Amino acid sequence: MKNKRLLKRGWFGDTVSYIYLTILALIAIFPMAWVLLTSVKGKGEMTGDPTSILPKVLTLDNYRTVIEQLNFGNNIANSIMVALSTTVIAILVSALGAYGVVRFFPRFGKIMTRVLITTYMFPPILLAVPYSIIMGKVGLMNNRLGLVIVYLSFSVPYAIWLLVGFFQTVPLEIEEAARVDGANKIQVFGRVVLPIVAPGLVAVAIYTFINAWNEFLYSLILMNSSEKMTVAVALKSLEGQEVLDWGVMMAASAMVVIPSVIFFMLIQKKIAGGLASGSVK
Amino acid sequence: MKLDNRVRDKLAGFAFILPALLVVGLLLLYPVVSSVFFSFTSKHLIKPAYEFIWFDNYIKILTDPDFWAAFLTSVKWTIASLAGQILTGFTAALALERIRRGKGAYRTLLIIPWAFPSIVIALSWKWILNGVSGFLPNFLVKLGLCETAPQFFSSGGLVFPTLVFINVWFGAPLIMVNVLSALQTVPKDQYEAAQLDGATPWQSFIHITLPHIRVVVGLLVVLRTIWVFNNFDTIYLITGGGPANLTQTVPIYAYNVGWGLKQLGRSSAVTVLLLIFLLIVCMFYFKILDKWEKEGA
Amino acid sequence: MKKAMKRTLSLLLAGILLVSLLAACGGGNGGQSNPPPASNPPASAPGGSGASGGGTDAPAPLEGEITFWHSFTQGPRLETIQAAADAFVAENPGVKITIETFSWADFYTKWTTGLASGNVPDMSTALPNHVVEMIDADAIIPMDNLIDSMGRDRFYEAPLTEMTAEDGSCYAVPLYSHAQVMWYHQSLLDKYDLEVPTTWDELYDAAKKISGGEGGNAFGTSVPMGTNDMMATRFLNFYVRSAGETLLTADGKANLTSQAAIDGINYWIKVYKDCSPTDSLNFNVLDQATLYYTGKICFDFNSAFQIGGVETNAPELLDQIDCAPMPTINKGDPQVGYETSNIPMVIWKNSAHPEVCEAFIKYLYRPENYVPFLLSVPVGMLPALKEIAEDPAFLSDPTVQKFTHAKDVISKAVGEGTAIGMESGPRPEAGLLTSQGVIESMFQDIIINNTPVEQAAKAAEDKLNDLFETLG
Repeated sequence: MKNKRLLKRGWFGDTVSYIYLTILALIAIFPMAWVLLTSVKGKGEMTGDPTSILPKVLTLDNYRTVIEQLNFGNNIANSIMVALSTTVIAILVSALGAYGVVRFFPRFGKIMTRVLITTYMFPPILLAVPYSIIMGKVGLMNNRLGLVIVYLSFSVPYAIWLLVGFFQTVPLEIEEAARVDGANKIQVFGRVVLPIVAPGLVAVAIYTFINAWNEFLYSLILMNSSEKMTVAVALKSLEGQEVLDWGVMMAASAMVVIPSVIFFMLIQKKIAGGLASGSVK
Repeated sequence: MKLDNRVRDKLAGFAFILPALLVVGLLLLYPVVSSVFFSFTSKHLIKPAYEFIWFDNYIKILTDPDFWAAFLTSVKWTIASLAGQILTGFTAALALERIRRGKGAYRTLLIIPWAFPSIVIALSWKWILNGVSGFLPNFLVKLGLCETAPQFFSSGGLVFPTLVFINVWFGAPLIMVNVLSALQTVPKDQYEAAQLDGATPWQSFIHITLPHIRVVVGLLVVLRTIWVFNNFDTIYLITGGGPANLTQTVPIYAYNVGWGLKQLGRSSAVTVLLLIFLLIVCMFYFKILDKWEKEGA
Repeated sequence: MKKAMKRTLSLLLAGILLVSLLAACGGGNGGQSNPPPASNPPASAPGGSGASGGGTDAPAPLEGEITFWHSFTQGPRLETIQAAADAFVAENPGVKITIETFSWADFYTKWTTGLASGNVPDMSTALPNHVVEMIDADAIIPMDNLIDSMGRDRFYEAPLTEMTAEDGSCYAVPLYSHAQVMWYHQSLLDKYDLEVPTTWDELYDAAKKISGGEGGNAFGTSVPMGTNDMMATRFLNFYVRSAGETLLTADGKANLTSQAAIDGINYWIKVYKDCSPTDSLNFNVLDQATLYYTGKICFDFNSAFQIGGVETNAPELLDQIDCAPMPTINKGDPQVGYETSNIPMVIWKNSAHPEVCEAFIKYLYRPENYVPFLLSVPVGMLPALKEIAEDPAFLSDPTVQKFTHAKDVISKAVGEGTAIGMESGPRPEAGLLTSQGVIESMFQDIIINNTPVEQAAKAAEDKLNDLFETLG
């Protein structure tokens, strides 16, 4: 906080900063604004005069189509379920794993994190076919659980890698103190260590959730029934409909993007700490 | 029987990391190994029979001018996107650090693009830039800046910059947020000292800010490089690699070989090459990062 | 801290609950592990040739669960199929039908990946070019028994021939047919005092006049060249076919350097440059059709799906659209440049219950199911059964009545065309010809890089022939 006052402040630099940020902010919000505006315009209006900004007639027809005919609410529920399950399991598994590495195998820590970051390099497209073969064999094709499992394989290494940094910041003395008080390893982990790294867990959870929520390729390949599809694929299939209806596509996009944006606004303070305070230490 | 403490510790440790090992081992190892295996075979996407053909796939790819074109596009796409993202994200973070009022509001607005799933990125920008009914092309004509509506996705000169712009639009907030939080870790007293010594803001930035945040930012660059290089969704959903293959990156090329031509073996070989390339690039990155880390310590 | 801990824990719990829920409703996808022998006797008894059809009085009750993938993703078409399936299940309590729908574009990814991982449906719709690839991959079973039991002579002959492989078996049963013809907006013709063009040159002149006069508000026509679709191949094929040539030689080689092909490429480049929105360089079928639906282009080449499209997008334009036969090279030439699509259904080899599929397919062809299905896109889907084409229930539909002229033009065209590249029978090369975007890339290359036409055509031809090698 203090350094703000210490930086030399000139009106010129301030003005430039404000102008710059305003321009950036306009560019940043324009697509969302345009999606919203288009979604409430009447048929014909959006193609009739492409540059008119405000809708002449306000209509919710497009949303009605999206919700009632396309049953889009269902897809949103799927995405939430899949992303949430992935996040919860990934956090659980990787918190255990990261702690295990830091506490019990510290010497392998460095090598292991390098190996883990290598897995981040696997091009998703490389694994598409093997995954669909496995999921087919174990009967988890077209199954939301199958999708969760696939997402786990991507999110766990990344999450461990991020969390190792957080766990390394936990002083050993605190744990030993708890141990002296008679807590076993699990208790130490759950009651002492986890609360300390809670901000890290939250940050990693958010990353995991976002990645699962946004994922497209595997969802496209693994899910078949429209009632099990995630939003990303359901949206894509709108583009392949028999009649291209930008109003409906924008309404559906708005339904996906508005909750995401609100979510981001609420949690923005939490993501900030993510990479910086963890991983690098 | 009482186990010796160290053994017990090791066992407990295994218990902790076992689930993670299972996930990584089973879910990543098998697919990767099988992909590498397929890359040496004539595996067809939908026909069961295949044979071992050693390096034929690799030879075919490495002699295919389309592959090299895609590789070049990938490199250009990664460098241009990253440069844009870092420049925008960094400058936005510094501007945000500087201003006093409205900081929170600006920050909130600026991270909005990050919340966009790739399919919504694709749909919204395709709609805004649509050559017939899109807002921007028609708006530019109305302003008198262009005579005819510019065709962002079908003019050879525009399509690649347009895609890079969209990728910068999407990726800059992530850089900005992380740079912002890295900036908080810079010890404030150093600025004070520098100011007393009469350093300009620019000098403080170079000598105090940068050395403190470069490891974080460097790491970010590594992660982003990998992510952008491997990125399939954005380009696939917006242009599909066209027009005239101008935006065909290596992942799109691999997809076309695997799903279009159904030459799964060859497609696997493409992705294996991609992986090798990324490994080499990251080795260099980590060398630099290690050096910085040591200097910092 | 403690609070955060509690919250985390309750979150965990909620998550675990969720997962178990997911697992519970994740349900089986069983029945794909043991592919049965390919040959199978027709399950149900005498499929009489009468229009009433047979099946209800089948001796043994049908049992089994089948998955049916189709590509009718929207509206009445989706509903009529669902209704028929529901009725069939009601009549056969032992049967369960799971319907899953994909757009054609996703459909291709789906079944190819599905085949790689052993996850294909029991039965599905297909595009003719897909059928060839499915036969090539030994993924579907012959349907001759079904066709014979329904009465082979009830079907039009051409679609059956088109699905008959080298081994003499017919692997698909045609569901409906349509053909590509030239559509126009009469109001735009009137505005510029134009006649319906009958030759390619007339079309160019008319389109140019409209594009010039509208100054960007509307266009004469649009030449779609997006690489994620086969539209440019389709347009080139129209021209080449009308000159009596083909894009694929009889022995399955690409043929883009014939005089007709070079002329055709030059023609469409000229039309693109002078009459078409620049963005059409990236258009797929929907981008293109949407322009026609909304009256932004005067001429388009498509089937009667245009009627439904205009009806949904700009109903006020419905009274002034119509179609005409394909233009010819010289005035008065016979019109031969048609592309017909016979959309069939196939049964997958992996299916554990082909007999259920067959019974259901038969059921779909019953007039009470088939006519409403066809009428869900009136005129857009022409019957594959001869007797239905004359059925008063079909003919009395108001849209069919209104567009009688269009129906006649298209019906005639259906009889004269084939799928692209299948002029001399089904060939896997025809699939690659349309699915790889080679011709689309060629057009884009000529436009963006100014590559000379002959050189680009030769390069594309070589590339296609290279691709054909992968079929070996």
